[in-house]
Formats: sequence, structure tokens, C-alpha cells
Amino acid sequence: MELSGEQLIASPVSKVWLGLNDVVILHASIPGCEEIERISEEEVRARVMFKIGPVRARFAGKLLLSDIVPDVSCSMAFEGTGGAAGFAKGKARVELIETEGGTLVRYSTEASIGGKLGQIGGRLINASAKKIADDFFLAFAKELGGNLIAVNVAILEDKKEE
Amino acid sequence: MKAAAFDYIKVKSLGEAISLLKEHGEDARLIAGGQTLLATLNLRLSEPSILIDITAVSELKGISLQGNILRIGALATHTEIENSDLIAQHAPLLKEAAPHIAHRAIRNLGTWGGSLAYGDPAAEWPACSLALDAVMVIQGSSGQRKVSAKDFFIDLYTTTLKADEILVASEIPLASGNQVHSFQELARRHGDYAAVGLAAMIRKDKGKVQTCRLAFFSVAAIPTMASKAQAFIEGKPIDAELIQQAVNLAREEIETLADITNSQETKTYLLGVLLERALTKMLL
Repeated sequence: MELSGEQLIASPVSKVWLGLNDVVILHASIPGCEEIERISEEEVRARVMFKIGPVRARFAGKLLLSDIVPDVSCSMAFEGTGGAAGFAKGKARVELIETEGGTLVRYSTEASIGGKLGQIGGRLINASAKKIADDFFLAFAKELGGNLIAVNVAILEDKKEE
Repeated sequence: MKAAAFDYIKVKSLGEAISLLKEHGEDARLIAGGQTLLATLNLRLSEPSILIDITAVSELKGISLQGNILRIGALATHTEIENSDLIAQHAPLLKEAAPHIAHRAIRNLGTWGGSLAYGDPAAEWPACSLALDAVMVIQGSSGQRKVSAKDFFIDLYTTTLKADEILVASEIPLASGNQVHSFQELARRHGDYAAVGLAAMIRKDKGKVQTCRLAFFSVAAIPTMASKAQAFIEGKPIDAELIQQAVNLAREEIETLADITNSQETKTYLLGVLLERALTKMLL
């Protein structure tokens, strides 16, 4: 699955960058985040309760950051397992662009979802991913004290996982 | 696989169910027909600590006429709706839609309220409730409230129901003599989730369309009304040109979401095909 989008947040670039690197703000913004810990500059571990429709599965995972250019962009690789429910792994790229009225956050994600979640939930994984991204940015903008100005998300492609 | 361990309580009243929901919050799930919930439990996609069985709560049962509305209790099964004379007479759209819901064994157990509260974007009842301007009757610890179908479905699998609330019933205005309907669904095999579906209702008046409701399902994150196409049709005289323009409008205004087998483009194309079929059947 590929998910990409843009969000305009009414806060300056430096504040958005700090927010994206602040585990306290991330904890409050990631839907269902129960625990998040920064292990090093490059590694973050988290436990998230994934809750959508009939599915309620707890995922534990880690996030490895690379190509970090402060206030500009970074790449990340992530993987998480949810016990019997399945696993998710993938990579994402985030770019911050200074614009009138705030910061444009541009992101693109590629993820594969496997296990039971992939087989059963596959029908609506795209829509679920979009909902989670929307919820995150809404909460994130609120945490920074700004508003979310525009929402523009595109789900590019639908790849079937084996 | 087998479900993880959970507690089970069969309640006898609505009040009892609501106070249990209030006490256990997110850890509790209501169970009625269980046609979605049990599969999720057995696959361990969800592990609630307590199941509250509401099948013995009499306030949630039955289909009845109450003045000028038809009341469908949340526990009415798909089969009861399919076989009900009251439904056939006063909400014939539902009778036509029922056979499209999964298979007989599932229809015998699955419920009206379960389908609505679960809010699957590919399900039949949520779209039908929109097309018929149904009102949801909701009971919670702070009392009863009513919400129209168009405000009930908020997001993917998300309704306006709060954690301590139960959908009690739906109230549907009785079908009038000048009312026609059409239910259209495309699925790869009968009983599968819809690729695209449409629940439509039109009231005519002297050769013109008076009211038009076009509720699509399995096109986006929630069942979706083609409001521009509806507004375009209302008040207009009926002819083939009207249908074609409405189809174009609906294709433009509905932002479809791809699923695992059908692309955005496929869904946009198919929704127009279904709308043309439905309008032709209802109007010409």
C-alpha cells in the first residue's frame, strides 16, 4: 500500500520539526499510542493500540530515522508486530516546506501489512491508513497550538500482499 | 484459531447493558448476532475482556408501526426484515436489499442494529437508512437522543455512538403512494462485499421528481449521498436527458476510494452504471 499526502499546519517550520522529534508531542498525537521512547538519535520505539472498526490490536514496533536534515526532511523505516493479528513494515519520507501561513508537511509512505490483518482487513487497509494519518495530523496540529489548514491525501496504489 | 478468554454477561434490560458499558468502557463489546464480532474474536484481531449479550433485551426487539413511522428494533435480524409484511408495505427498499446481505445463515443471525452500529462502508443497511431518511434512536447513561442517518455515520467504521451508548431502534417515515425505490449492487459473487452499491428512493409529483435520495455504498469511507445529483434531479420533469446528466454529476462529485480489488476509476465508472440503472427503473 502507498499513502502520500500534504498537510498545512499553522506553525513555523522549526516548531513543526521539533514537534515531530518530541516524543511527548508524538505520544499525544499518534492515535492509540500507549508508549513511545527515544532510544537514540536514530531510533524510536513505540507501542500502539490499533483500533479501527472490529479490529483492536496492539502493535509494538520501532522506527529508524535516516537522512536527517534538521528543519527540512528525513526518511524512516518502520516495522511493528501485533502478535496474532499480523505485522506491518515499511518506509516513509517526510519533508517540511515553509509556506505562507505555516508549514507544509509532505509525506509519502510505502507499507506492507501481513498476517491475519492483511488477509482479513485487506479490504479496507487503504481507507484505514488514511484515517489514521488524518487523525494524527489533526491531533499534531492541535498539540503545536496551531490549526490544520488543508488536507490533501492521495492513496496512490493498491498492492496486494501475499 | 480460538478466541482469547473473555467474560460473558447476558443482560435482561437496556439499563443493565448501559451501566456495564459505562463500567468497562473500551474493554467491553456488545454482542447481538455476532456475525462480525465472533470472526474477529476467533482471529484474535480483537480481544475484549467482556462481552455483553443484549439478545434478551425486549426493548430492542421487533418491527412495528407507530403512527406515521415504522420502527425497526436493533435486534431485528436481516431475515426478519426480509420476511416482514410491514417492511414490504412501508419500506419496500429494505425488502429488496435484504437478499444481497451475505448468505442465509448470516442473515438469520445478523441484526439491523449491528450492521448500522458497525458502520461498514460496504454494508447495505447504512446506505438504505440514508436513502429512507431514517432516524436512529440512541440510549445512553445520560438519556435518549435521536440522530438522523445522515449525521450518524462519521468516518470509516465510526458512528456518532459513544462508548456507553446503544442503538435501540431506527424510525423510518412510511413509504408514500408516489414513492419508488431501487436497490442496485455489484459484487463478484452473490453474498460478497459489494464492489459498489446504491440505495435509491424517489417521490414523484405530477410528472416531476419531488424528492430524490441516492445513497451509495462501498465507494468511500462511509455511505455517501450524491447530493449534487439529487439536487439536480429534484423539481425536474422526467426524461432520459435528466438521467444522463445526473449520472455525470454523481461521477464527478463522489470521491471514490479504491479497495483491494477495485481501483478508484472502476468504482467511479460503476457507480454511474448503477445510477443509470436505478433511475431508468424508477423514472422511465
